Amino acid sequence: MRMTERADKYTLSNGMVMLGEPMDAVGSVAFGFMLPAGAARLPDGCCGASNVIADWIFRGAGERDSRQLGDALDGLGLVRGRSVGSSHLTIGGALEAGNLTPALDLYADIILRPGLNEELFELARQLAVDEVLSLDDDPRQKVMLKLREQFYPSPLGRSTVGEVSELKVVTAEATKQIIMDRFNLSETIFTVAGKYDFDTVCRQMEGLFESEQKQRGEPITLGSKEGKYTHIDNDGAQVHIGLMTETVRPADENYYNARVAISVLSGGMSARLFTEVREKRGLCYAIGARYHSLKDAAGVMCYAGTTPDKAQETLECIIGEFHRLREGISEEEIARAKVGLKSALILHSESSSSRASAIGSDYYILGRVRSLDEIKDEIEATSVESVLGFLRADPLDDFTVVTIGPRQITLT
Amino acid sequence: MEFKTKTLENGLVLIGEVNTSAKSAAVGFFVKTGSRDEAAQINGVSHFLEHMLFKGTEKLSALEVNEAFDRTGAQFNAFTSEENTVYYAAVLPEYLAEVTGLWTELMRPALRDGDFDIEKNVIREEIAMYKDLPSFDVMERCRTLHFDGHPCGNSVLGSEESIDSLMAEQMRDYFARRYAPNNMVLACAGHFDWDEICSIATESCSTWQRQNVERRREHCEGSKGKERVAKANLVREHVCLMSAGVSAQDPRRFAASLLGMIIGDDVGSRFFWELVDKALAEAATMQFGPMDGTGAFCSYIRCSHENVVKVLDTVRGILDSLGKNGITKEELNTARNKVLSSLVIKNELPMGRLVDLGFNWTYLEQYRAIEDDVRAIKDVTVDDVHTLIEQLRLGDFTQLSLGPERNGQ
Repeated sequence: MRMTERADKYTLSNGMVMLGEPMDAVGSVAFGFMLPAGAARLPDGCCGASNVIADWIFRGAGERDSRQLGDALDGLGLVRGRSVGSSHLTIGGALEAGNLTPALDLYADIILRPGLNEELFELARQLAVDEVLSLDDDPRQKVMLKLREQFYPSPLGRSTVGEVSELKVVTAEATKQIIMDRFNLSETIFTVAGKYDFDTVCRQMEGLFESEQKQRGEPITLGSKEGKYTHIDNDGAQVHIGLMTETVRPADENYYNARVAISVLSGGMSARLFTEVREKRGLCYAIGARYHSLKDAAGVMCYAGTTPDKAQETLECIIGEFHRLREGISEEEIARAKVGLKSALILHSESSSSRASAIGSDYYILGRVRSLDEIKDEIEATSVESVLGFLRADPLDDFTVVTIGPRQITLT
Repeated sequence: MEFKTKTLENGLVLIGEVNTSAKSAAVGFFVKTGSRDEAAQINGVSHFLEHMLFKGTEKLSALEVNEAFDRTGAQFNAFTSEENTVYYAAVLPEYLAEVTGLWTELMRPALRDGDFDIEKNVIREEIAMYKDLPSFDVMERCRTLHFDGHPCGNSVLGSEESIDSLMAEQMRDYFARRYAPNNMVLACAGHFDWDEICSIATESCSTWQRQNVERRREHCEGSKGKERVAKANLVREHVCLMSAGVSAQDPRRFAASLLGMIIGDDVGSRFFWELVDKALAEAATMQFGPMDGTGAFCSYIRCSHENVVKVLDTVRGILDSLGKNGITKEELNTARNKVLSSLVIKNELPMGRLVDLGFNWTYLEQYRAIEDDVRAIKDVTVDDVHTLIEQLRLGDFTQLSLGPERNGQ
């Protein structure tokens, strides 16, 4: 089956890029503003400020106070989304298509005319501090955040939740400055997917967001990677193991070979990690690896949670499977990996929210939006030979490991 | 959308909602069984059995089952609750028949001793995993305290002790009693060929034997007990509150879900404005959970333990004020818009649609189009919600807190 999706694109004269993907079968529309204010783009010493900002800008904007703004958004039935990533702070949501116009009006206020009341800053900051503290009660999430921090060259892996010591000293004034510097429309990407009329959206967005072109921010200077193994002691029931190894970025010619290889390792329930670690040995309940990428670096990210007595064996079994991958892969495994990837692609393409976020991330990372057909064809073009060739040239064997739990493990 | 249904002679119900404009299809077996149907000595068996279904049949090994699913690119899994065990898969339309065939085979599993012993380790790991998730642990403990001997308070996972002592023979016996064709529904949604699904199910499932299946369905008002559990490695205070609600069969369930949204949606609710917006609590949500014959409102709050007293005073204030002053028309409209958008967005995906389709049949033996639910939500009035508030007494709650050790504990 060939896909027939259309890609809409329009650039405002200030450089703000608008991307759209219409979907015939839905009555909803999803949208997102990717603001270049992610964790890695913050000045040093205010880790977590993106999270404060994501709260603070909703505490009143334009003519509305905090309560009026909240009520106006809720009144539209907007299912709100907000996320802080390494590169972007993304705000938006999904709602019934007829309410898109008033929703965009409100978001223009939030982005361009936030109230930024200083008393309310303290509340936003307190909630951000609380979120960091709560990570101690969620070792599984914490281990993955810590892993990104250790794996990616600084500041790419900087915690998207924040650091308490830095959040405590960040001021309203400094945060306001970050908003002024980083909410740069010339570097902002707007995405919309679902039921909408692109011309109407463009005209409205021009009216709301057209402005002078601003200079782009300085490119991020990359520092070094952190340690190979980090352990955080916690008297919990399990040892939570996070493990990551470097692989190719989405722009690389071997990107699809890497995706298929990772799918052989951990795509479905017949994939190697699930079969060897859980099904045959009963070492874990949760075990899995996935591809994770930023624009400038990428890795295979793996998580396993297991009781302390089994932690060492679990780690060794996982690393063994990473090594065994390049020794040989069957035709049947490649076929399953390919069908799994293609099927996931199409299943996700039915959701307006997934598409709005996928087209934005494609554009930021690759400078263009890939069509579903292109992705399908590229997956189809991989083979046992191409995947093994890639793995032998680019072996997945240099690991960064983080554990949280009552017992350390030994890296061999 | 076209609704289809057929009942086999042994009582197995097949239902489908065909949507030819969908790009995918979803299929699921909804088995009316869960931890509330377990005796104490076999607690955890429903969930363990759900894992064992993937271990194969007389003809298929576990690996062959996983390979067969993965060859179709299915996104498949299962979940167990207090009263349902659901097996599902979302696939491209051309694979739905194959995946349905596979599920029908798996519904008659081998339940081999060797697989049972290995999987017991996985279940123990799952129990350990949830112990490290206090937001889950506190709800489970509160549920047990609230239901106070009523079977809806049974743990879904079971305890380490109940799982250790469980024997494969007990599981086989439970399976034979509960996985009867007249206690399950096979549902499909999205783009698929109904006649093909019917013939697969008829061929595979007609030999299954009907059983007498029972369940205790009485309503539970809840214990209203109050407890605190301390754990040395915790940093935050996790609080769960539960009070009685209406059942999944009760026409007031729509008003109840709107009331839950007004009080405790994650943004824009009374909890949000009084607790989260003021940074007294980092999270404060309430949800209405309708069940078979009973129901409950369940709140989860996370805060510093210095703030607990103030947070609970605020919660009581919110619930008291609802009793005295009721809700406003604007609050109801806002909640309605939010419920409706979530409902519509979820049902745009065949997998999302499957869940509503299957549960509507499980609880009501009735097909409800999305429009029926939309209308029912639109029809709820301020008076309906006020009547419910008077009947329910949300301020009379069971309370369980889980947090760090304090002086003197």
